[in-house]
Amino acid sequence: MQKHSVFTEHVTLNMGPQHPSTHGVLRLELDLEGEVVLECRPVIGYLHRGVEKIGEARTYPQFLPYTDRLDYLSSASNNGAYVQAVEKLLGLEVPERAKYLRVIALELNRIASHLIFLATFANDLAATTLFLYAVRERETVMDLFESWVGARLTQSTMRIGGVMADLPEGFIAKANAFCRLLPQRLNEYDRLFTRNRIFEVRTRGVGILPPEIALDYACSGPTVRGSGVSYDVRRAAPYEVYDRLDFDVVTFSSCDCLARYLVRVGELRQSVRILEQCLEQLPEGDYCAKTPRVLKPPAGEAYGRVESPRGEFGCYVVSDGGTNPLRVRLRAPSFFHMAVLPQMLKGWKIGDVVAILGSIDIVLGEIDR
Amino acid sequence: MIERLRTQLGDALESAEQVGDELRARIRPAALVAAARLCKENGFTYPCDITAVDTRTELTLVYRLQSLQTKQQVVLSVGVPRSGARVASLSRVYGAAGWLEREVYDLFGIRFEGHPDLRRILLTDDWEGHPLLK
Repeated sequence: MQKHSVFTEHVTLNMGPQHPSTHGVLRLELDLEGEVVLECRPVIGYLHRGVEKIGEARTYPQFLPYTDRLDYLSSASNNGAYVQAVEKLLGLEVPERAKYLRVIALELNRIASHLIFLATFANDLAATTLFLYAVRERETVMDLFESWVGARLTQSTMRIGGVMADLPEGFIAKANAFCRLLPQRLNEYDRLFTRNRIFEVRTRGVGILPPEIALDYACSGPTVRGSGVSYDVRRAAPYEVYDRLDFDVVTFSSCDCLARYLVRVGELRQSVRILEQCLEQLPEGDYCAKTPRVLKPPAGEAYGRVESPRGEFGCYVVSDGGTNPLRVRLRAPSFFHMAVLPQMLKGWKIGDVVAILGSIDIVLGEIDR
Repeated sequence: MIERLRTQLGDALESAEQVGDELRARIRPAALVAAARLCKENGFTYPCDITAVDTRTELTLVYRLQSLQTKQQVVLSVGVPRSGARVASLSRVYGAAGWLEREVYDLFGIRFEGHPDLRRILLTDDWEGHPLLK
């Protein structure tokens, strides 16, 4: 029997920037040995729009709609961090009712974002059906926002001092109906997808992120809670009315794609819990504080932070006393998760790259700004 | 914690004050690594953010370090010149510093000495200038 010598070499392959599974315009330079990833160098910046620079040339209220477009799958959380920072600079008190309305917006956005995660994660692993179901559920959330603030995705729900408008008629009834429906649908998805053998093989034990590395890279949100670290900004630095609401911080400790997926599914159920409490406890009052026509926060700096569906979204605002901020720094959780991704991919195959990248649920809008 | 910084850094600690959950300390550039290591040893192991601000008179580097146990933050600020600034890299102290310092270099032009891979991250490789400068 003749033995042939086989010539092998490492190949550097581009994944992206146009690719159905990279969740936006992301380029991954992959050094491969066959199908196995040796090194990965993410290349970002394809969606860089200079938002932080724009912030220096807009008044404080004018900048708000720009924040929607960062993590565009959860516009309220971007709003939330920005207004928190500006309100700290102004020393502005937000009315009770407005705080509850903000939490309603934030949790509805969390639900919408996590539903998109379910949809795209399943789709990446070739379970297309779940995409159609999850997106169908999300349509109700989009309808709710359209009736409330006029937009489905980049909602600009918040204003400095409160929210844009009060809830329209029928909103509370429709939202409550949604809260009753969603857990049942989630049970269906569990049967369809979570307990599916193929899904399990592609996610259990795949893409391990050890907690020490996750913390050294300042990971947050489901990415870090899937590695056993119970860090949630809603508990660490409560904002709005989160300190009065009952909910669990969902954590799993297996550090794999499955853990991160299960955290988000768990959070969907917790968001429903929070929503129901808010709809029930919603007090009378103003939906926004009165603010002067021209906003000039005194010179100083403040850091606003919220628990977005992706993690700690922070907004560091520096004021020089003028009408425009001196600096707006947007701390995006996905940026840190991208930074640690190469370590999560080493040794896995290209098919696993899709699962691992999907499991950290990045949005390029907030990475690139 | 303010006391520990004062003891370790002496004169290099230009000012320190507690504002809410934040311990804001301004330090001299030469003391950056020592201050960061001291913070890390004292529980501030989470590198929440590294960025810079152009105040028109200087560039202020801002390091936001968090303690997940106490939920407090230490915010170190370091003043450097608006052009030609060189500062020690914290990439060997905190993992996240790698990408964060690349972004500060990209947008402000501050060079981080000892950084393993200091190159632009958001802008294209052939971009000229550092756009977040005033």
